[in-house]
Amino acid sequence: MVSRITNPKRVRNIGISAHIDSGKTTLTERILFYTKRIHKIHEVRGKDGVGATMDSMELEKERGITIASAATHCTWDDHHINLIDTPGHVDFTIEVERSLRVLDGAVLVLCAVAGVQSQSITVDRQMNRYRVPRIAFVNKCDRAGANPARVAEQIEEKLGRKAVMMQIPIGLEADHKGVVDLVRMKGYLFEGDAGSDVREIDVPTPLLPEAETRREQLLDVLSMHDDALMEAMLEDRVTEELIIAAARKATIARLITPVFMGSAYKNKGVQVLLDAVIRYLPDPTEVENEAIDMSGPEETTFAVVPSPERQLLALAFKLQVTPFGQLTYVRIYQGVLKKGDMITNSRSRDRVKVGRLVRLHADSMEDIEESQAGDIVALYGIDCASGDTFTDGKLDASMTSIHVPEPVVSLAIKPKDNKAMDSMVKALQRFTREDPTFRTSTDEETGDTLISGMGELHLDVYVERMRREYSADVELGRPKVAYREAIAVPVEFDYTHKKQTGGSGQYGRVIGTMELLDEGQFEFVNKVVGGTIPVEFIGSIEKGFRASMERGELVGYPVVGMRVTLKDGAFHAVDSSDNAFQAAARGAFREFYMKGKPVVLEPIMKVSAEGPTEFQGDMMGTLIKRRGIILGTTEESGFVRIDADVPLSEMFGFATVIRSVTQGKAEFTMEFSRYGVAPSDISEEMRKTWLEKREKGN
Amino acid sequence: MDREMIIRRSPMRLFERSLHGGLGRGHIGVVTSRAGTGRTAFLVGVALDGLLRDRKVVHISTQYSADRIREYYEEVFHDLAESTHLEDRLRVHLQVERNRMIHTFLDHNFNVERLTSALDYMSKHVHFEPSTIIIEGYPEWDKATEDELKALKALAERFQSEMWLEAMVHREGEERDDRGVPPRIARFEEYISVILRLKSAEDHVRLQLIKDHNNTELADVHVELDPRTLLLVWR
Repeated sequence: MVSRITNPKRVRNIGISAHIDSGKTTLTERILFYTKRIHKIHEVRGKDGVGATMDSMELEKERGITIASAATHCTWDDHHINLIDTPGHVDFTIEVERSLRVLDGAVLVLCAVAGVQSQSITVDRQMNRYRVPRIAFVNKCDRAGANPARVAEQIEEKLGRKAVMMQIPIGLEADHKGVVDLVRMKGYLFEGDAGSDVREIDVPTPLLPEAETRREQLLDVLSMHDDALMEAMLEDRVTEELIIAAARKATIARLITPVFMGSAYKNKGVQVLLDAVIRYLPDPTEVENEAIDMSGPEETTFAVVPSPERQLLALAFKLQVTPFGQLTYVRIYQGVLKKGDMITNSRSRDRVKVGRLVRLHADSMEDIEESQAGDIVALYGIDCASGDTFTDGKLDASMTSIHVPEPVVSLAIKPKDNKAMDSMVKALQRFTREDPTFRTSTDEETGDTLISGMGELHLDVYVERMRREYSADVELGRPKVAYREAIAVPVEFDYTHKKQTGGSGQYGRVIGTMELLDEGQFEFVNKVVGGTIPVEFIGSIEKGFRASMERGELVGYPVVGMRVTLKDGAFHAVDSSDNAFQAAARGAFREFYMKGKPVVLEPIMKVSAEGPTEFQGDMMGTLIKRRGIILGTTEESGFVRIDADVPLSEMFGFATVIRSVTQGKAEFTMEFSRYGVAPSDISEEMRKTWLEKREKGN
Repeated sequence: MDREMIIRRSPMRLFERSLHGGLGRGHIGVVTSRAGTGRTAFLVGVALDGLLRDRKVVHISTQYSADRIREYYEEVFHDLAESTHLEDRLRVHLQVERNRMIHTFLDHNFNVERLTSALDYMSKHVHFEPSTIIIEGYPEWDKATEDELKALKALAERFQSEMWLEAMVHREGEERDDRGVPPRIARFEEYISVILRLKSAEDHVRLQLIKDHNNTELADVHVELDPRTLLLVWR
């Protein structure tokens, strides 16, 4: 059924991103239905107990949310569409970001009633980071209060993007029947069983004035970005092709967000949305991707050429365990991948054979012989980690590493018995490989196993999976926050390390400053002139400082955000060595760090709470009580959104509290924002504990 | 420099002297300029000065998202901290954020009642009572009524706050009085204590005093806005 992909121009790799409950999974399900990948429609929380096809994990079915991104393939109008289902919850940041890395375009699903919600704003920001062109689909036009035009306005106000309505609805709320395409000036009704019969009609007369006005607005915006269309307008010879070409160009350049609409649940507008995906979203040759050249001493980047003629470059962006072994989803950026090929993992240098190459539907797969640049496929039975790059072995390159945030919360877990212990170890090995933001370690004092991640829910999901998929029953400790230390005021240091204990001595002197670095973990600046310290020892000094930063002197947590500027020093022709200068750096840190008035830093989450205006006082009060700083409040049509920075340590159990103070009418999202200064009572308490511990240790 | 020193050396002190002690609590000031001449920068400068002095500030906008306004503050704070070598930056930044509320109304339906209720919520639930209230995008001077201005003035008095508003002056074709104030603003002078104009010169923006309470002698303000850093500087 699936033909081999020979022309990358006929491929679309797209993601569907949305706020929870705006109907993303339903939309995906309909797309698979109309493209004949599935033959029956199941609802997300379906009464038939089967659940929508894309939510492949048990847990997802139960919670009605989509956690892991699964890639699925379908065809529409002679084009191949790889659909990457992205999660709708901010706690799973790495999942979203990984999918965004391999997408060429996206459909942003928005609710016609609730509009642009906090989650959509977060996802939109993430998409900006990966420069993903997108179109918007205003879903749920059948609901009471649906207003797609208002949603389009919100895209401009809240997301700051030029929204262009490509359609207007034929009927809204209970009367929603279809859409008017403003490019072709035709109406489309979706009739028959499951809306499968698309009937083209003339624009209904009552809608004509609005359609004409909107079409004019559409042409005005597009002509601003396209001279050909502008000329055609002046000469009154505008064609459908010209409009589509202009809209495509502007969408790919991310100058506009075309807005489409319908109701996935009521089977309205999905087929024309698929047409739009092909018309307006880029094919793999229209997107710029970079890889890192690892052959030289310095890492340099080069532009990927999406051609089958080039050497293979493929990124493993997602792993899934199946009863038959590991399934690795890869995006091929260059070259051809064939069954039986030997490929090289550029991180581990392992050479592996491609045993099986498959194309995936969410719960079934098809074996294929080969695939090429621009496509997304999966490899069966290959051992690798998520984020690894595969090449032909001759090309020494890696796809740009994706931004992996440091975990901010950890939790002690204890298996209930020996059997659980074995299963837990297996589960943890699997999870840490799948998700780089999920880590495990051992608590030095208690010997407990610690799991760390990006938030409470993130860890919750893995604990649940441990229970379900691995039958590992574990007891949970209290969540612990990852604190850090940083220097607050610049401090000058001058330290001499000198030791003379028989044999050759040790000597090194370092002079310079330590100060706060606004962004980044550590910066080492060498300003030594005139050879007062030989070049070969500069690296030793940097190493010494780096080592010291692993444990600060204030409360014993790692030090972040420090710039060390080495200005001068001295050496001894015989007694100076790598070790001596490392020791000098450690000594300087030990002696002078506290003079920099260090502070304790705690992870601060960016929290967005949204609810009816009448609860704004209670919502604000709840956030402030948790040491929150209100960053901004936005009121709109009876709803208020409060953005606040709140320390993570205060956010445990917040979901219950916010629901109870707002009678369940408010919702919130949160993501890691930055490290911020912890209040003095907390840092003093931590200092006391640390000093006592150190006392005991000595 | 530490925070105290920055406050003492701030061009705002000079500005206050030119105004014989500043705008004053319970009074309304309006900053006018042509489009893109730095009204927001001036207002953020006023706000930041208050925030550094540990005063509470509310910034209201009907035009921009809260994120965007916050970014503006971040920019200006960053430039200020860099140019003054601000000590203990983390703590000062924290204090600035704690003392500031940004509240935006994006549904084109703003009025004094909504402002009042937002301020009441803040005062009742989180004990936030602003010393300075900054409002961008309201009132719409062409359509504004005397009742609106009266209500704003009453609000400034009730909260004992300095209230700063802004007005865009059109490039051409607009009628003005001999001081350069359009009648759509001048008609509410009864409620406005201070009117200021920002005038762009070659590489800076001049501050010009048009009205200073009941003083007939208007001081020459030796403060300007640096368009590169968006900071208020000495002239």
